[in-house]
Amino acid sequence: MVIIAIIIGCLVGILVGMNTPIIPYSMSGYLAISIIAALDSVFGGINSSIKGNFDLKIFVSGFFVNAILSILLTYLGERLNVDIYLAAIVVFVGRMFNNLGYIRRHYIEKWISRKNKEEKNTNEKGV
Amino acid sequence: MEKNNKIMAITIGIICFILVLTIFVQFKTVEETDISGIERMQETELKEALSQWKQKYEEANEKLEDTNEKIKEYSNQEQDKTKTSNLLQEELKNANMILGKTDVEGEGIEIIVSDGYKVEVNGNRAEQNVVAKDLVNLVNELKKAGAEAISINDQRVVNMTDIVDIGNNYILVNSQNVSNPYTIKAIGEKTYLQSALGIKNGYVDQMAASGKNVTVEAKRNIKILKYEAKTDKNKMQFKYIKEK
Repeated sequence: MVIIAIIIGCLVGILVGMNTPIIPYSMSGYLAISIIAALDSVFGGINSSIKGNFDLKIFVSGFFVNAILSILLTYLGERLNVDIYLAAIVVFVGRMFNNLGYIRRHYIEKWISRKNKEEKNTNEKGV
Repeated sequence: MEKNNKIMAITIGIICFILVLTIFVQFKTVEETDISGIERMQETELKEALSQWKQKYEEANEKLEDTNEKIKEYSNQEQDKTKTSNLLQEELKNANMILGKTDVEGEGIEIIVSDGYKVEVNGNRAEQNVVAKDLVNLVNELKKAGAEAISINDQRVVNMTDIVDIGNNYILVNSQNVSNPYTIKAIGEKTYLQSALGIKNGYVDQMAASGKNVTVEAKRNIKILKYEAKTDKNKMQFKYIKEK
């Protein structure tokens, strides 16, 4: 059910996104950083669901608050003439890689253990 | 549990929707924005570009001024050239007029000199032909009186003109035969020319005394043809004289 919701959401998002007007270029920097923040939240969510401690409230609040915070920080950085968005990107992308690493390890371990089981089974049958 | 699942699915779907939507909007924005456009440039880049353009503008301006100055110079030169060429043209015209290379007209007098006779003491008529000397004298008189152009039977008298006798009946002017009667045209102040010839014991009197016929007529407009060289000798091409 969740997977269907994800697929539907993505498809509708693509369709709507293709047909919306473009935003002013000066705003696109903020949008980009918020996208990075949101992606980080999504990977964090996937990671936590793998670990089994996924909480919808934390995920949703993290998704929106991170995005908004990153926008605000970027804006502040622009006012202060400091490229804060660089720091935000470093943090978010670093975390994304961490989460991706967890996810990858989890599925590889799962795959290996399943293979081992199958081998055991075939061995037993052969005997 | 079922309800929670539904809520979770819807929430995650909405979140996916928002995420993908923003991602695609961003894609489109990046794609459709001119990468090298001014909007994309940062402040420092803009400053640099602006200063570059300013410099270019100044250079172009300088060039423009230079070019304008050059154009001014050239046009000045051009004016000078036309001035000099006009001057040259004028001079050439003047020189041609002096040399008798152009047809001219103006007020002047027309003199007809013809052969006559003299009654001698014994009653015989003695033919008196006009000789070259008569014409030379006449030309000299006219020149002295300020004639600007002279011709004898339409032979223009110029500085190289020769007036010589050939036999008894012909006179050569400009190496061309001219014969009786002789029509001499002179352009100048007509009254002055006329009186110069007609004074007592002047040219007319002398000729009359020698029995030759002379008539002098003042005219408001006389046309004198240009000098035309008929032989090589008279073409005014100089072989021996050189400019010093």
